[in-house]
Amino acid sequence: MSLNFDPSYALEFDFGRGQIRMANAGERVVIPCDALLALCQGASEHAVRDFGRRLGTEAGRVMNDRLGEAWQASLETVLEHLGGELALMGLGSLGLERWGQALVLSFSDSPLGFAGDLLLGSVLEGAMQRSFGRDTVAIKLMRDDQKVRFLLAGHAGASKVGNWLAQGVPWGDVLSRLATRGAS
Amino acid sequence: MNQEVERLQELLARVRRNAALPRTLISASMPEPSAPVHDTPPVAYAAPAYTAPATEFTAEQVFFESEPPPPPAAQTSAPLDASVDELLLEDPFPSVRPGPSYSDVLEEEPIPLVNVASPHALDAEEDVSGVMSISELSDEQPEELLEDDIVEMTASEAELSSVNDSLDELSFDDDDDLADKRSAPLSDAEPPASSSRSKIAGTMDEALARAAEQIQLEEGREIPLKTPPPESGPQAAVALPAGMHAPLSPDIEELLEADIVPSGVQATAPTTEQLGQTIDLEDARGPSLELDQPAPFIPEGLQEDLVNEELEVTLPGREFAGGYQDDLMLPPEARQELEAHQQRLNEDSVAPPPESLAQYPGPQPEAALGGFAPAIAPASVTTDSYSEGVSTVTVDAPSNVDFAPELLARPDRGPTSVAKFIRNEVPRPKTFMELLDSSLSLGSD
Repeated sequence: MSLNFDPSYALEFDFGRGQIRMANAGERVVIPCDALLALCQGASEHAVRDFGRRLGTEAGRVMNDRLGEAWQASLETVLEHLGGELALMGLGSLGLERWGQALVLSFSDSPLGFAGDLLLGSVLEGAMQRSFGRDTVAIKLMRDDQKVRFLLAGHAGASKVGNWLAQGVPWGDVLSRLATRGAS
Repeated sequence: MNQEVERLQELLARVRRNAALPRTLISASMPEPSAPVHDTPPVAYAAPAYTAPATEFTAEQVFFESEPPPPPAAQTSAPLDASVDELLLEDPFPSVRPGPSYSDVLEEEPIPLVNVASPHALDAEEDVSGVMSISELSDEQPEELLEDDIVEMTASEAELSSVNDSLDELSFDDDDDLADKRSAPLSDAEPPASSSRSKIAGTMDEALARAAEQIQLEEGREIPLKTPPPESGPQAAVALPAGMHAPLSPDIEELLEADIVPSGVQATAPTTEQLGQTIDLEDARGPSLELDQPAPFIPEGLQEDLVNEELEVTLPGREFAGGYQDDLMLPPEARQELEAHQQRLNEDSVAPPPESLAQYPGPQPEAALGGFAPAIAPASVTTDSYSEGVSTVTVDAPSNVDFAPELLARPDRGPTSVAKFIRNEVPRPKTFMELLDSSLSLGSD
């Protein structure tokens, strides 16, 4: 199990056949970002979530193929390889934050922007499901011009966090409350 | 055909010969036509008939217009390529040798190049020397010239006297105004104002006398000032005659004085209108007060500096700081304050003893009347310390005090930790799976 992600020969452009293939994966299609966003905005939330989870599942599968035993991988290893696969998809730079016991994943410099947050969260859920066999809910904590943060929590915790955020509680306080309630 | 060619050649040769001859006499006395006129009545070897141009002068214009018509320009020489008529008719008074006689010219008639038809047969006996006057062209009877009309000739032109004699015999018709107008320059009696032509004096005395007359005429003549029309364009400035000059520029100071002081009124005397608004003030009561600028007080030490440095003043030295004159009188209102201040100084001449927190306060006249009698003056003051942090001051109480106070001071302490903050360190998960599971467990009861 290599710590560093090696993107060499990750993509293969077959100009004769007009195809793009990813290593250890199938064909890829390079499409404009605006067209993808338009498709996501025109589709239902369920369809976007399903589309994102399929993307995350593919990334988790490839990461598992690279890592072998992903359940034993450290935080850095998972971040390096999963982030590398998502970067090859062009979804942005993956980040990992640990707030106590809470796991927070973030995307920086995503070309999808604010309209692609739902898709990105779904990608993370699909990757967790495919890599670690856990049903997770990615809740968007905050969003600014460059970074969007998602809290990976269970269904119960995601419900509480959603309520707090709807009440206007800052996302830092939400994590504090969640840590306090969880500890107690 | 050959004959015509020969005649033309001879004519051309003669014309060239005439053109090469020097000319000293100005032919301005005889108006020359500017261009040959072919449709005029035929006049062989004479001045062509006058044809009135579009801007023909009328008799009224001639007599009532201020400016006479411009004189014809003096003809110096004719070009070789001019027409035959022009060459033949130019300069009827050659200075060196007179042109061909009328008879000579008549023998060569007709000239086929010029289509002329003479309604009047020329009189061969008429001695015109190849010149025909305008009056003759107008079919009018000639008129004898006046004495003023006779052109004075110089000695160099004596040989042309025969020709002039023939001209004197010519007469002009008074009825024809146009003929008169044209004959006026011929008479040369009075040159036009715009003409620079003048009679030539025969002797020096005559020239001097004429010059003197000209000067008198110019001095006595008034030149009418005419404002040129705006379309006239730039014109040469007309020199003013002697005795006339442009108005001098007014003196500004005189004008200002004239505005301030009206004419006929003296500057010192007020006007009647001003006196009507004037109120006489009464004389000041009381003693007369005269203000005079006092002489500045300059210390002796500065006088030399002032002399040396002129306008620069050197700041006074230390010995002059705070100095005042001893002879200054004390103001009456300050006298009482000064006396009171001196009295207070005499009363406070004995300084009170110093007070501190370890001593009783000084004697107060009001406190002495109460039941709580303070100590007036302590005998001694000692300071003892029972421990490191507490200092006790023991004061010897006076005899009239019931109890002695004990003063305690807060002990000195160094910096100590007054609170403890415990940081709850969460163990870092070894694998991503552990962190994920712990995060999923958050919020679940």
